[in-house]
Amino acid sequence: MVPKFPQAVVSRAALAVVLALAPLAAPAEDARPVNPFEGKAEIVPEGNGLFNQYCSHCHGPNAEQGERPRDLRRLKIRYGDDAIAVFYKTVSTGRQEKGMPIWKGVLPDEVLWKIFTFLSSIQTEP
Amino acid sequence: MSRVTRTVLTGIAGAALAAAASFAIADAGNEWPHYGGDQWNTRYSTLNQINTGNVSSLKVVWMHSLGSLESQQSSPLVVGDTMYVTTSTGPKFVFALDAKTGKQKWKYEPELPNDYFATVCCGLDNRGVAVANGKVFVGRLDAKLVALDANTGKELWVVTVADYKKGHAITSPPVVYKNLVVTGIAGGEYGIRGFVQAYDQTTGKSVWKTYTIPGTGEPGNDTWKGDSWKTGAGSTWYVGSYDAKRNLVYYGTSNGGPWGGQTRGNDSSNILPYTNLWTSSELAFDGDTGKIAWGYQMTPSDVWDFDGVNEGVLADLSVGPALMKADRNGFFYVINRESGKLISAEPFVPTNWASGVDKQTGMPMEDPTKRPQLGKWARNVCPNLIGGKNWEPMSYSKQTGLVYIPTFNMCMDIASKDEEYSPGKFYLASEFNLDMVGSVGSNLSEFVAWDPVANKKVWGIKEDLPFLGGAMTSAGGLVFYGNQKGELKAVDAKTGNVLWQFNIGTGILQSPVTYTVGGKQYLAVVAGRTKGPPSFFGKIGQRVIDASPEGGVLVVFAL
Repeated sequence: MVPKFPQAVVSRAALAVVLALAPLAAPAEDARPVNPFEGKAEIVPEGNGLFNQYCSHCHGPNAEQGERPRDLRRLKIRYGDDAIAVFYKTVSTGRQEKGMPIWKGVLPDEVLWKIFTFLSSIQTEP
Repeated sequence: MSRVTRTVLTGIAGAALAAAASFAIADAGNEWPHYGGDQWNTRYSTLNQINTGNVSSLKVVWMHSLGSLESQQSSPLVVGDTMYVTTSTGPKFVFALDAKTGKQKWKYEPELPNDYFATVCCGLDNRGVAVANGKVFVGRLDAKLVALDANTGKELWVVTVADYKKGHAITSPPVVYKNLVVTGIAGGEYGIRGFVQAYDQTTGKSVWKTYTIPGTGEPGNDTWKGDSWKTGAGSTWYVGSYDAKRNLVYYGTSNGGPWGGQTRGNDSSNILPYTNLWTSSELAFDGDTGKIAWGYQMTPSDVWDFDGVNEGVLADLSVGPALMKADRNGFFYVINRESGKLISAEPFVPTNWASGVDKQTGMPMEDPTKRPQLGKWARNVCPNLIGGKNWEPMSYSKQTGLVYIPTFNMCMDIASKDEEYSPGKFYLASEFNLDMVGSVGSNLSEFVAWDPVANKKVWGIKEDLPFLGGAMTSAGGLVFYGNQKGELKAVDAKTGNVLWQFNIGTGILQSPVTYTVGGKQYLAVVAGRTKGPPSFFGKIGQRVIDASPEGGVLVVFAL
């Protein structure tokens, strides 16, 4: 395909579109899900076991593995304060085109939040 | 078929395609017409132009990008002067290439749904095609089987073998003989019920289908507790072998499903009667009817993911007509392929879950402390669930009488957990730690030359990282294999001396193949580092991922 506009112009236009849409795509502050186990260190070992049972074959035992896009120790670096919303949405609705199944209806929210509590305890610092 | 006859035939493309199917030859020579070189899966070539004396002069003559980046596991076929090679992710492409120049003759790009990624357990793999009677057959990750015109790549028929949304997939090429194309099915981590199915090559109509797990009222169904047989796995995701003289098709079957065994049996080493037939087994099917002629179960009541699919390599040994299998469970089995009777079973890697195999009953002698139970860890179990060997193929050299095996040297901790079955979701009911080296040495793998009659290691090359590539042997006195750093090695098959090494730049999983065009010998290898399975292995897996970038390339060498 021959671009009608110089590449830089196209890119800038595309970026503008993304920026314009961004506020709609990002979760509103009041819609951010709440982890009922937040700050409860005693939940971490159980969450770790659940993680190893349900998630480790792609995301590594104890979330340790080498594929950067699957590295759940980097949720905080990647998504900052939105990490909790991205986690909940991704786990609930899947990213099937990337291999992530839909867990909503399979695992109860309680299990998902225990897993998130474990993940929160092992985040790589920026 | 004599070499002279075959050379004449290769000059006539259409005739050569037909001839490859009509004559059940035992050895790969000028062509590489089947996944395993021959239908016996020996990966031994009679070619000897490239040999121990000149292999160090190999040079790249052409390359072809595969256009996908997931782990590449395709074993190219060469029929006449055409090479057929697939790519990962679907496959994304099937290419027909001029085997001398690499010039593309056609490509097939299937339409696949975008959600099959989530129901494929261990990477978006495809291991290649089968070719017979002017047709190319390829299985897909959306569990469809396709026939293509070998000359044009045009789709002739497509059948849905099973529902991919329930975790079925096809990752390996079918077996072809007579007018049949026979495929296995993947899904052992999704609670499927495994089967092998035969279709008519011309019409795509189903001819027979045999489940690996007997249903209600069938012999062996009582080896399952309650309804557990319905989700008991026993998938057949790897390649089969075929013995034309006996008209028997051989397939290995996967682990029991789920991995945790409490739903399927007694949850103890006192396993009887719940052996869970025919999971973790080798099965011989009548070629015409699909009826099970015999079965041998390597790992009864499997709870370790000792998936039994590793390829059966057929050979006529001094101990009888053999089917050889380097099983995941650490034992090297030699089975009489006519009767199914066990000839020998000895550990080919450090193995501690069983002290040996009872030659009379064929049953492993388990160490009860190494069997995981519900909520109870078994520690330091060797080998781990990737096995003493995984799918990366071994090769049997008729010249040396040895088998060359890419082995793993790793152990694990594993426990069974409670888990509900949900269609299309991982169904493991297991927790495990695989980030552990083996019980002997710090090397994570070893390329082993094994004497299948004397049952002993002849030599080995220790490697620091796991996931060695498959082996190929030739009458040139050579054995070839690769590793995840991207190093392709040519080794003296007698001594284990490395004679030549070439850095491809991305990991090599599949064995090379060899063939001739115009009387000149070529060596072809597909490369593209493993991607899915290392995620199971924590820091060890991270080292594998870091060893080379992902890739997708076919490289062809000649003198």
